[in-house]
Amino acid sequence: MNVEISDVTRRFGRTQAVAGVTLRTGPGVFGLLGPNGAGKTTLLRMMATVIPPSSGRVRLLGRDPGGYGPRREIRRRLGYLPQNLGYYPGFTVAEFVEYFALLKEMPPGRVPRAVATAIERVDLGGRARSKLRTLSGGMLRRVGIAQAIVNEPELLLLDEPTAGLDPEQRVAFRALLRDLGERATVVVSTHLVEDIGAACSEVALMDAGKIVFQGTPDELTARGEGTGAAGDAPLERGYSAVLAAARSAAAVA
Amino acid sequence: MTFGREMTGDRDDRVGCPDDVDLDRVWLGVATEVWRRRPGLAERLAGRALRSPGLARALVTTASLLPAWLIATAVVLGAGMLATLATGTPFVALFAPGVAAAGIAYAYGPGIDPAWELSQCMAVSDRMVLLVRVLVVFALNAALGLVASAASGTAAAVTFGWLVPMTAVSALALAVATVTRSANAGVAAGLAAWAITLLSVRSASGQVIPAVASSALVLPYLAFAAACGAVAWFATRFPRGTS
Repeated sequence: MNVEISDVTRRFGRTQAVAGVTLRTGPGVFGLLGPNGAGKTTLLRMMATVIPPSSGRVRLLGRDPGGYGPRREIRRRLGYLPQNLGYYPGFTVAEFVEYFALLKEMPPGRVPRAVATAIERVDLGGRARSKLRTLSGGMLRRVGIAQAIVNEPELLLLDEPTAGLDPEQRVAFRALLRDLGERATVVVSTHLVEDIGAACSEVALMDAGKIVFQGTPDELTARGEGTGAAGDAPLERGYSAVLAAARSAAAVA
Repeated sequence: MTFGREMTGDRDDRVGCPDDVDLDRVWLGVATEVWRRRPGLAERLAGRALRSPGLARALVTTASLLPAWLIATAVVLGAGMLATLATGTPFVALFAPGVAAAGIAYAYGPGIDPAWELSQCMAVSDRMVLLVRVLVVFALNAALGLVASAASGTAAAVTFGWLVPMTAVSALALAVATVTRSANAGVAAGLAAWAITLLSVRSASGQVIPAVASSALVLPYLAFAAACGAVAWFATRFPRGTS
């Protein structure tokens, strides 16, 4: 298992963003669904070793990120695309991707080819030497994806990766996800249900800091059958049905 | 596999190309060489000295090491030098700690480093990046200050005396910036503390020079700097509680 999370909580002052989440996943594409404020980003930030949990146990790639040495080793094998990725406007695409390859401690001799490969994989070859300040929002998102995959990560964490991508790019991105998921554990956080249906082998649905469903996209779809839940697509109806059931159960409790 | 299209393998570009030639591989080789960045001399030297090309590259992304910032620093210290020559008051010695404190506070952090969130999950730790940036910013400010101070013709005790209070003020700015996660708070704290120090010394002795030249203040300055350094070290640790 590349991700082992046991009863993890995370508080920010009085707000409990993640409340007792347990999750285990190996190679493949794992979707993290949920409405805004469900705790997806906080959970992803803990997996990315940006913040520690308030309580509970996290093991990533078989290591405990609490120790300096294991954390460093995890980070070498990690790719992370934050929800709000900042950019150095004066850097070119290639310089930006190279910078993070170096910070991930890739062997310097391997960096130029890895940078070229990552840029080509997100189809930005034509803009590799363009300054970031000249790129559109969708292109910047693809630059973010390129830096995340430059080290061929064993654990890839993507927070709203398709935000700003046009429909054609999103379709291509899902193909890239499936490809990456053959070798690595890819965790994709999104509130776009169609991304999950097309790319993920397993999905968890979060609400109010808890996982209220975990299974395959087909199983999530089945939850919506015959319920009359809102949604244009079968998976959306499953999403709505699970959320409604979780909220009514919480209200009763 | 590429994001939006195959690289070259499925395109019409293969017309006339032998089947056993992998055009994707050829193109990647070309792209690798064309896009390869050649680091400048300073970056190569820093990479060797630090044994980390990533840390050396991190210096390039430091706000207070950008050319515009360094020029502004030189202008302020140059103005101080001219004022010192004109009035005899050691303005360089009075300005340098405040200028350095601003540079140190702006070395790193949320709102200053655009990719701060991402840099927090890198194998080269953000604390190490901060340490290297702070040391280089401090060294550059000290060098510029010493040049301006020496050129202004002040006494040796004054020429070198401000280095110790500069250390203390810079350490305070760093500590406040890391604790509050705000560079502006660090700058404000550093400048305010230095202004209070100067005013206190002036009200006690009638002049400000003892604030930078008094040997009696060296130990308190250094002790204060050490305490602030410890606070900054603690504030930048990876919080416990992951297992």
